[in-house]
Amino acid sequence: MFNILKMWIMKGNATEAPPNIRDGDITNWQKDLNRIDKLDKKTKHALSRSLIVRHLDLGSCNAEEAELIALSNPFYDISRFGVEFTASPRHADVLAITGPVTRHLKIAMERTYNAMPNPKIVVAIGDGACNGSVYEKTYACLGKVDQFLPVDFYIPGDPPSPEEIIKGLLVCKKLLAQKEENNG
Amino acid sequence: MKTIETTTVIEQIKRLLKDSIINERLIASNHTELTVDKNALAISSEIIIKESKFNSSLITITATDERELNNNYVLNVVFSLRAINYLITLKASINQSNLSYPAISTRIPYANWHEREIHDLFGIVPEGIELDPLILHRDWHPGKNFPMRRDFSKNNQIPITDHEIEFSVPHGEGLHQIAVGPIHAGIIEPGHLRFCALGEEIHKFDVQLFYTHKGIEKMLEGKTINEALTLAEHLCGMCSYSHSTAFCIAIESLGNILIPPRAVLIRTICLELERIASHMADLTSICSAGGFGFASVHAARLRETTLRSIYNLTESRFFRGLNTIGGLQKDIDDRSINLLAQQLLLFKSDFKELEKLILSTDSLLDRLELTGFLSREQAISLGLVGPGARGSGVDIDVRRDGSYLAYERYQVSVPIDTTGDALARTKIRINEVYESLRLIKNLIKDLPDGEILTEQKSYSQYTPTLGILESPKGELVHWVMLDKENKIFRYHVRSASYINWAGVAQATIGKNIVPDGPLVNKSFNLCYACVDR
Repeated sequence: MFNILKMWIMKGNATEAPPNIRDGDITNWQKDLNRIDKLDKKTKHALSRSLIVRHLDLGSCNAEEAELIALSNPFYDISRFGVEFTASPRHADVLAITGPVTRHLKIAMERTYNAMPNPKIVVAIGDGACNGSVYEKTYACLGKVDQFLPVDFYIPGDPPSPEEIIKGLLVCKKLLAQKEENNG
Repeated sequence: MKTIETTTVIEQIKRLLKDSIINERLIASNHTELTVDKNALAISSEIIIKESKFNSSLITITATDERELNNNYVLNVVFSLRAINYLITLKASINQSNLSYPAISTRIPYANWHEREIHDLFGIVPEGIELDPLILHRDWHPGKNFPMRRDFSKNNQIPITDHEIEFSVPHGEGLHQIAVGPIHAGIIEPGHLRFCALGEEIHKFDVQLFYTHKGIEKMLEGKTINEALTLAEHLCGMCSYSHSTAFCIAIESLGNILIPPRAVLIRTICLELERIASHMADLTSICSAGGFGFASVHAARLRETTLRSIYNLTESRFFRGLNTIGGLQKDIDDRSINLLAQQLLLFKSDFKELEKLILSTDSLLDRLELTGFLSREQAISLGLVGPGARGSGVDIDVRRDGSYLAYERYQVSVPIDTTGDALARTKIRINEVYESLRLIKNLIKDLPDGEILTEQKSYSQYTPTLGILESPKGELVHWVMLDKENKIFRYHVRSASYINWAGVAQATIGKNIVPDGPLVNKSFNLCYACVDR
């Protein structure tokens, strides 16, 4: 117990400031996020709430998974933005897809998508999911995700860095708020 | 290590196999190919394995479709004679008119997955074993489509039908099944696990993998060497540098390319950095599966600092785009190297505290001790590699037993533990991190200036070549053959996880309870991506 207390006190807080989106290098994201300030009260309220993510590996090379796991480490601490990963698609807002769709996972993908409540956001993380990456279509690899599911947002990268994924998930909050507004 | 003379061993093997050998060919300085009849393949394999003084193991079986050359399929069974760092390939032709041969796995059980994979992909029939589908799931209409045959077109796709996963299920009072996956609860790759439990105790454990099977080996056919390197890098994220280096080693040994000393040392540094990063991820998972969140978070913090050091060094957190045939694509400046040395000093003192925390917390030790026990005999009979094998007292490490990159000069000490439980595998990883830190420190000290790239020469055609190295998860084998235009004819990958899944299945059953299942799994922490390909 003493060890734990000592380490807890000595190591301090490793968490970094959230990615500075206003100074972000990706300009169109910046535009998207600047627009948030001009949104009405209702949308802003929706935006301030939590975002529950169901991760779905459809055949990635596990680098994207490694970066998604890294989001929970003390440097990024994704939960402070209200973003949580969930075990069940039944209470997920976002389906985060990595990897090109493989033949063996197509049915699992459809079932997971159908199990999610509306409104739902599908986000493709990494080149594999966004455009198929280096993987060609073969007997077992069916290619990019948006052939099968309506993708709302793309976070490209090989793999995208944790900062980029955080930025992308924050944009997803906005998209979710928009969808909710449109649905009434 | 080299107490026995290489030539006498080869003579001895030839004497043991006597009449079976049809042809003999030296294909590399430490690699002999012996052609045998397909009916003698299994017996000859057993003879090589049984001779204990060679300390040999079957490392891969690669099938090639050479019908366009000689109307035959060819099986290449590769043995590593660890005692003398030598490779023996038993090559057997299988005529397309009769596709069956006596199965090797009736004599060497851990060849089972290899043979079933070849049956799935080529339709070559090993006689004497049950041929449940392995790589291709059950809706593939067995006996019709064999995707790795060269006349099966690359973009030929078979319609998907919904199907149930079948396992042989024991019946009895109180026995119940727990199905997990393919989509898991956390951020993990997909795979279906089936526990059969009596109360809490696990009695049977089955896995259905290959959900992320993308047919990368099919994609690789006809690719140029550089295209293939990019795909090799994308086989697996956790050990992407090991994969790309294994491919480079294979091609470089085929073209007799000697890479410059600076590139050799930088590659070795990067391989060790990858090992540290991977082991930190393993420790993170072990601590979190063992219910010790505090240590898990600190291990995750240390993994992140390692990944950031890697990024400073190579501009990629996964070493992508660093390797090329003949050396490196980009040099690393001295400033980054010095920064790395400083960062690793800090890392070491930090890691010492983490080690103390892990090994002095009773609640975690209580979960790890005696969990997922695997005896030395079991580990050997399953042919395990990497930390999984070393935790059960099997003394193997390609860094020491083989001869690649700079490891020969830097005498790797290999940690061994004989208790065979999850704690042993945890300790192995902790000790390996220290060993990697020591190696990197020495490598940085000796890092010479100079070129980083040797120009490419010509390569031999239709000659098998192997890239074998110790990835963070264990021995990794890449088997490559080029065609007459220097394009990939066949490329087969046998990752460490591919072998070690049998270890997970064995270690899970027995005295373990269901809540220990994830902990046993995490104590091996295998990849799915480079198993499924």
